[in-house]
Amino acid sequence: MAVETTIAGAYPKIGDTTEEQKLRRALHQFDKEEITEEDLEEVKNTVTEEVIRQQIEAGLDIVTDGLIRWSDPLTYLAGRISGFEISGLIRYFDTNTFYRQPIAESRLEFVKPTLLPDYQFAQERSSKPVRAILTGPYTLSKLTRNRFYREFKQLAFDLAHIIHREAEALEEAGCRYIQFDEPAILNHKQDMPLFLKIYEIVTAQLSKAEKTLQLNFGSLDGIYPKILGVNVERIGLELTKGHKNWDVLKTGQCTKKMMAGIVDTRNTKMESDSDLSHAVHQLGEHINIDHLWLSTSHSLEFLPRVNARKKAELLSQVAKQLRGASVS
Amino acid sequence: MILPTTTVGSLPKPDYLTKARFQFSKGQISKQELESLEKKATKEWIEFQEEIGIDILVDGEMYRGDMVTYFAEHFKGFEISGLVRSYGNRYYRKPVAVGEIERLNPVTVEWFQFAQNLTQKPVKGMLTGPYTIMDWSFDEFYPSRRDFCLRLAEVVHEEAKDLQEAGAQYIQIDEPAVSVRPEELELAIEAMGIVTQGLKAYTLTHICYGDFPKIYPKMLEIPVNQIDLELSNNEFDLLDLFKRAPFTSDIGLGVLDVHSHRTETKDEVKARIQKALKVIPKEKIYVSPDCGLKTREVEEAKAKLRVMVEATKEIRETLQ
Repeated sequence: MAVETTIAGAYPKIGDTTEEQKLRRALHQFDKEEITEEDLEEVKNTVTEEVIRQQIEAGLDIVTDGLIRWSDPLTYLAGRISGFEISGLIRYFDTNTFYRQPIAESRLEFVKPTLLPDYQFAQERSSKPVRAILTGPYTLSKLTRNRFYREFKQLAFDLAHIIHREAEALEEAGCRYIQFDEPAILNHKQDMPLFLKIYEIVTAQLSKAEKTLQLNFGSLDGIYPKILGVNVERIGLELTKGHKNWDVLKTGQCTKKMMAGIVDTRNTKMESDSDLSHAVHQLGEHINIDHLWLSTSHSLEFLPRVNARKKAELLSQVAKQLRGASVS
Repeated sequence: MILPTTTVGSLPKPDYLTKARFQFSKGQISKQELESLEKKATKEWIEFQEEIGIDILVDGEMYRGDMVTYFAEHFKGFEISGLVRSYGNRYYRKPVAVGEIERLNPVTVEWFQFAQNLTQKPVKGMLTGPYTIMDWSFDEFYPSRRDFCLRLAEVVHEEAKDLQEAGAQYIQIDEPAVSVRPEELELAIEAMGIVTQGLKAYTLTHICYGDFPKIYPKMLEIPVNQIDLELSNNEFDLLDLFKRAPFTSDIGLGVLDVHSHRTETKDEVKARIQKALKVIPKEKIYVSPDCGLKTREVEEAKAKLRVMVEATKEIRETLQ
């Protein structure tokens, strides 16, 4: 069984030791103008290296840069797109975390690749492939306050072109795995036809990297198997114990590779490795689990770092068991 | 009186207290030393609220860190996790339910009595609601969110009863998480029913940051006398909802944006109150900031509250 492991995206920026809190301190000092932007960047670089190392030590096969530079899922990208203003705090889905809402004040335009230098930095420091994470254009549009475009779809199409440019730059730089996070579609399933059009733009002529569509904060009920029509190679979904997606998968054959979010990162309670192995075998009844990725349900940032690390280790432990079982 | 003024609960801690809390966490000062500074700060905030003429006072929560973790630290059955991020560079420690939740002793009653003894005006008893404590905690013990939430409701009810017995005329049970999962609103209503059952005190709940169109008007079924809402942060858009279905309980009208350093002008606050008066009867309106002011500097919070009270007084005069 060719099972590989990865995490959904972000990794906790700080831990509980003084050493592990350097980014928090640096941001604080930067706010008080005690350190320069370069000093702050240096700390972000160090922490990025640290979290890549932790993922590799945990035994993961594909890593992310931990999204250490992102202050929230929206503003890191939106703040670098011309035409956006960044506004007040809004709750991010059903979590107790917040993002600053982007406001589209004028036509949105691509300035330069945001993720490219981050990807290059991370890949140079990782022995494992680094997957680049992008917030998808549909979710970006949906969580934006639109003060400029006459119609929502115009906003979404412009963002689709911008995210396409980001992905294109990543692909050209040799990035093998690109992920688009699109939680918002699960709350607005009636928009599927538009969503498919958006992804025609996003993925146009991208053929080198493997593209993952990450769908969490809900179930695929009502859009499955239609969602498989999106031009990506892999679908990421929540598959924690008892999640509705287990029933959804029974309703149709999954024709894409899967990133199965079997480890719950919204709770500290540890899953047992036998439960997780069982879940993977169960998955095999519904889908072809060759090239399966085992992952976390959500970003690891919902957990304290110490728990995040344990959950990452659990993933690789389960994958090891499964590989061992299939060899014997 | 019409348009009584109040605050949502937390007020900023003065620098000497922030420093003392840090020193206490490092074991450099004793619990008694910390407590005497917490009392000093509480006294200062009570005096300030009296001085500017706020009608219903709070103790300012000088002795609390996070609104959920504070209760979890005092209830049996909880442990406290490492740091998790809420936004930007803000982190908090999240409670973890590891056993049956129990209240061994009253948690907030002594502080309520301390503050109430400093003033003739009513001081609110301040609690965090069961739904929010559940939603903002990790759960390694209960089989379901419902079981966890309803157990917490019983525990918070005991605390509310003790506050009432200690003389609290107003008991606020904050449920900021209620607006987040519309599918669980029923559970939050049921849990609040357990908390407020049999209470004679005026009860209120504070809700913020959420998808209100999805829970309104159903949220009016939360069994409390008043629902306090954040309105300034979203430019009073919520009032449009109340035009469609009348706001039937009393409303705590958030008129100060607590996330902005800028002090509102008196005219801005007056305009906000006037906007609300067009939609909600004046007898039903209480005036307050959007949310707790603890994230502002002391002087910022004071300036904002002064403006709020002055603006309210001027509006009151036009209505009498």
